[in-house]
Amino acid sequence: MTHTIRSAKETLDMSFFRFSLIAALALLATGCANNSPVLGSKNISYGDTKAVETITNEFGSTDLQMIAESMTRSLAQSGTLQGRPVVQVYDVKNKTSEYIDTREITTSIKTQLMKSGTARFASDNTDMQSQVDQLKLQNQSGLYKQSTVSKTGNMVAAKYRLEGSISSIVKRSSDYKDVFYKFSLQLIDVESGLAEWMDEKEIRKTTER
Amino acid sequence: MRCKIFGLMALALLAGCATPPPPAPGSAASKVVVMGSLKNIEIGPMRVARENGFMTVNVSLNNTSSYNKTMYYRFAWLGNDGFPVAEPETWKSLTLYGSQSSFLPAIAPVPKATDFRLEVKTP
Repeated sequence: MTHTIRSAKETLDMSFFRFSLIAALALLATGCANNSPVLGSKNISYGDTKAVETITNEFGSTDLQMIAESMTRSLAQSGTLQGRPVVQVYDVKNKTSEYIDTREITTSIKTQLMKSGTARFASDNTDMQSQVDQLKLQNQSGLYKQSTVSKTGNMVAAKYRLEGSISSIVKRSSDYKDVFYKFSLQLIDVESGLAEWMDEKEIRKTTER
Repeated sequence: MRCKIFGLMALALLAGCATPPPPAPGSAASKVVVMGSLKNIEIGPMRVARENGFMTVNVSLNNTSSYNKTMYYRFAWLGNDGFPVAEPETWKSLTLYGSQSSFLPAIAPVPKATDFRLEVKTP
């Protein structure tokens, strides 16, 4: 009788143990399940591209964005660009002591002006070779159906050219490093050579050591 | 008499606990979005105009502290439907000298912008 009771108790214990084991395994399995859309190290993260960047006082993303934003809006709102004139963008001269990809400043200005719907852009000096090559290929190779060929002599000339420069003044002392950037941009009427619009953006960045 | 006093006290308590009413639609305050906190900087009247087809805004600011204060800001440009009509702007930093009153000018990026929000934050 005692033996029967003991074995029944043992059976109960055993089934409880099994149940606990399965429950623990299920918990472990659900706990380990990865339903996060992130793969990789937690040390790397995506940040806000529009944040104020003050990591060092060299030319940075915020400076580029501020210059492009300020220049574009000033030009678009000035009323000079009446009737969506054709503009040719020239490279911005880098007169600073550091390396700045000034092409990116002009690309941003061009993109934002294009989005504002105030100007159209002629092929600039970097695109011109590709444009000429394509026209030559279409007209001289004999490869294309004549009705689809873009004719030569129809490219639209620019009414204005947009050119600018960026310069800097850097001063250092034992306590401070001060960088002053000045970005100037002007819109010149190609026919008359007159500057029709001009603006500047000044930026001061100071590091206290 | 006692009932009246208690009633008045309860009313005063209730009024004290009540949250401030939301800014009137179209008012200057309704255009400002304070992200977290804005300490020692007061945003005053705004001048809104349309020049050469683009919306222009000028916001008056006042540093209520006697120390120099830095603030971060950006504008969001909205269309007739209340939704953004352009990419989010980059955050900009502005320093106001102690007790200085200043102005913050802005131009909309596209002619479609008919309304705006000014997002502000102090460090």
